[in-house]
Amino acid sequence: MSNPTDYGFLGEEFLTWLWFTLETEGGDFDVDGREIAVCMDDYIAFAPSAEDETEQTLRKGLPSRSSVAREALRNGRCVRKARLIAADGAREWGFVLDAATMNITGIRLPADSEEAQTPRERATERIAAFTELQDIIVGLYTKFLSVRLTPDYRATQGEAQANWMMA
Amino acid sequence: MVHGTMASLRDPSFVKALGEHRFRSIEDASSERTSIGWVTPMDPTGETFAAEDLDFDAGIWLRIRIDRKRLPPAWLGIHRAKAERAAGRPLTLREKRELKVELEQRLLPRILPGVAFVDVIWQPASSRLLLFATSRSVKEICVKLFGETFEVTIEEAGPWQLAQESRLGREQKGYLQEVSAVQWPHAKGSTARAAPPVIEREAGE
Repeated sequence: MSNPTDYGFLGEEFLTWLWFTLETEGGDFDVDGREIAVCMDDYIAFAPSAEDETEQTLRKGLPSRSSVAREALRNGRCVRKARLIAADGAREWGFVLDAATMNITGIRLPADSEEAQTPRERATERIAAFTELQDIIVGLYTKFLSVRLTPDYRATQGEAQANWMMA
Repeated sequence: MVHGTMASLRDPSFVKALGEHRFRSIEDASSERTSIGWVTPMDPTGETFAAEDLDFDAGIWLRIRIDRKRLPPAWLGIHRAKAERAAGRPLTLREKRELKVELEQRLLPRILPGVAFVDVIWQPASSRLLLFATSRSVKEICVKLFGETFEVTIEEAGPWQLAQESRLGREQKGYLQEVSAVQWPHAKGSTARAAPPVIEREAGE
C-alpha cells in the first residue's frame, strides 16, 4: 500500500480504539505530560463494515451507551465520526472528529480567560486553544499508533478490542 | 503540512508576497465574477499588510477573502417570466441568453458581492498550516493561493501524514507501510458470543 489517502481506515480504527480505551481503562490520558480527560459526546457515525452497507448515525443523548451502538460494534463497524469532549482541568474543548480525514469541525473552545481584554488578546488565546486541541488529538493518535503499529497487535490489544466489540 | 522554504514574517518578502496576491475588490464589476486574495484580520480590504497585524504567539494569522458576484437566480426568473408573459410564448434559448446578459449589465453594478473570510494559521516551527474551513472547494482555494503566494506545496494531514509526522520510532513508522485495515468480528446473522480471531485485510478489499 503506498497511497496515503488509502489510510482512512487507520483514523477510523483510532476513534474506535479511543472508545474502547475510554470504556476499559477510563478516560484519562497522559498527553505530553498533561492529564487530558476525554469522553464521547452526543454524536457517533459508524463506517459501513462492507461496501453494500450504509453509514449509520446516532445523535442526541449518550449514543455510546445505546443498544444500537453496541449492535453496530458487534457487526464489526468502526467509528467514522464522533463528537468528543477533551478537558485539561477546567478547560474544555468540544469537537467532531472525522477520523478518515482527521478533520475537526463543530469546535467549541474553552471560554476566554479574564486576562484577555482586547480583541487581539482574545484572538491570541483562541488560536492557542485551537493549537492545543490539535496537539491533544495528535497526542492521542500517537498513543493509538504506538499500540497499533506493533507486529503482535492482533494477538494482544486487537484481540482485546475485538472481544469488547462483541460483548 | 507545508513543504518548501518560506521567508519569515520579519523578512520584507513575506508581506510583499501577500501584497502581490492581495484581495482586489469587485464591488463595481458589471459581470459575474469571483475575487480571491489575502487580507489581514485587522484590514479586510487587502490594502495593508503590517507584520504586527499577522504575528500572534501561536502562529501567523492570515485571512483569505472570497467575494462572489452573481446575478440572483430569483431575479433572473422574475424577469424571464415577465418577458415570456409579454411575448405570449416561452423564450428561445437565444432570447434567454440575451436576457441574462442584458440583466447582468443592468443589475450587477447595483448588486454587492457575497463576502466570505477564511482564516489560516501558519505555524512555521512545525510547518503546520491550520485552515478554519472543511469544504473541499475552500481547501483547494487555500492550497492554490498559499502555494502560489509562497511558492511551497501543501499536503493535507490525514491519518497517514500525521503518523509520519508523529514521534514514533523508525521501526513503527516502517510498519506503517505494511499495515492494513483490521477486519473486525462480525456477529450479523450469528448468535455466537465469542469473538472470532481478528484478521487484517488489504485496504480497498
